[in-house]
Amino acid sequence: MFDCANVEMRELLADLAAGTLDDATRVRVERHVASCAECASELETLRLVRSAYAATPTVDVRRIVAALPKPVPFPQRAHGGGYPVKRWIDWRVAAALTMIAVGGLSLAVAHRRSMEVLPRDSTAAVPSVDTPRATPAKVAVAGGAPSGSHDTTRHVGQSGRPPEKSPPKAQLAFAGGMDDMDDASIKALLGALEEMDRAPVAPSEEPDPTPVLPVIKTGQP
Amino acid sequence: MAKDHEPTDDSTDLALIARWKAGDERAATSLVARHAPALARFAVSLGQRADVDEVVQDTFVRAFGSMDSFRADSSLRTWLFTIERRLILDRRRSERRRRDDTSVDDVDAATEFDALDEIVAEEAESRVRRAVDQLSRLQKEVFLLRVNEGLSYKEIAEVVGSTEGAARVHYHNAMRAVKESLYV
Repeated sequence: MFDCANVEMRELLADLAAGTLDDATRVRVERHVASCAECASELETLRLVRSAYAATPTVDVRRIVAALPKPVPFPQRAHGGGYPVKRWIDWRVAAALTMIAVGGLSLAVAHRRSMEVLPRDSTAAVPSVDTPRATPAKVAVAGGAPSGSHDTTRHVGQSGRPPEKSPPKAQLAFAGGMDDMDDASIKALLGALEEMDRAPVAPSEEPDPTPVLPVIKTGQP
Repeated sequence: MAKDHEPTDDSTDLALIARWKAGDERAATSLVARHAPALARFAVSLGQRADVDEVVQDTFVRAFGSMDSFRADSSLRTWLFTIERRLILDRRRSERRRRDDTSVDDVDAATEFDALDEIVAEEAESRVRRAVDQLSRLQKEVFLLRVNEGLSYKEIAEVVGSTEGAARVHYHNAMRAVKESLYV
């Protein structure tokens, strides 16, 4: 038992048996079947199957129709009607407006907080630099240093501009404990803090975008 | 190539649905009369021996109850076949639970053949039924939807929840098995 090599014709045999082909295609397939034993056999099988399953159980159309739900007039529909869709759209619009309002408020609050914090902390994490005129005093500063490097010695020099009146802790903050520092380092740190307290305050209240470094004078007037 | 199946003319179905939605109950009668015989045949081909009328009625009730979800992407008949198939599978699952894990498919195959054998008088048709009943459930569904109802592979794939290519393979495997059963 072999299958016909003409796949297109084989595919159309079921349609031929079901009577769903247009006239031109039907004639073409019938011509092929007339000259092809495999397709003729397959078509015969298909017709046998259709005949075997042709018996249709009787169904009571009237009884089925009586059991059907009644069509719901447009305005009364719970789903799929115009009004519920409009209400759903209204909900989405309201939700979008709420999200925009809440988001905007959150941004405003965040921006306000950042403006309050920025002038005080803007110089906290800036490393110190040396200037050639100042004799560098070695001060152990651990602020901003990565873990394990808190004993790194940094030079705190003169920046050439008057320091701002900002809390010294913010400028000389250190992450390590006092136990990590020796007496000399602590004294140097305290000295630097006192110098910063005595330093004149800049007349302008405008925040300077350039980070200001602490001035440490050692042994010079 | 393949012309529209006359009893399932899609445009006629859509027009009837529109009329039914507008309140014309005669349109519902026309729709049921057009599709009920095919649904009854399909139910029998799926092994539904009893309550075929009830299955067809439940199919229409469910379809008309959710007519708004019919998008006309497929033909109405394909959509009805899909609903009916789900209903029959649900019924089988319920029966299976009631029978406490008895192999329903085996029982169905045996009793179905016996019952149908009483109806089918001719020997050739009886042999064909026996051959078709030996197919797997999915092969049988695909094969009979193609041969009896003239559905395309695309439509069959929608009904059985498969792909067009898989439906084609199922059909040809079924055809080969039926021919072997009949002629070898």
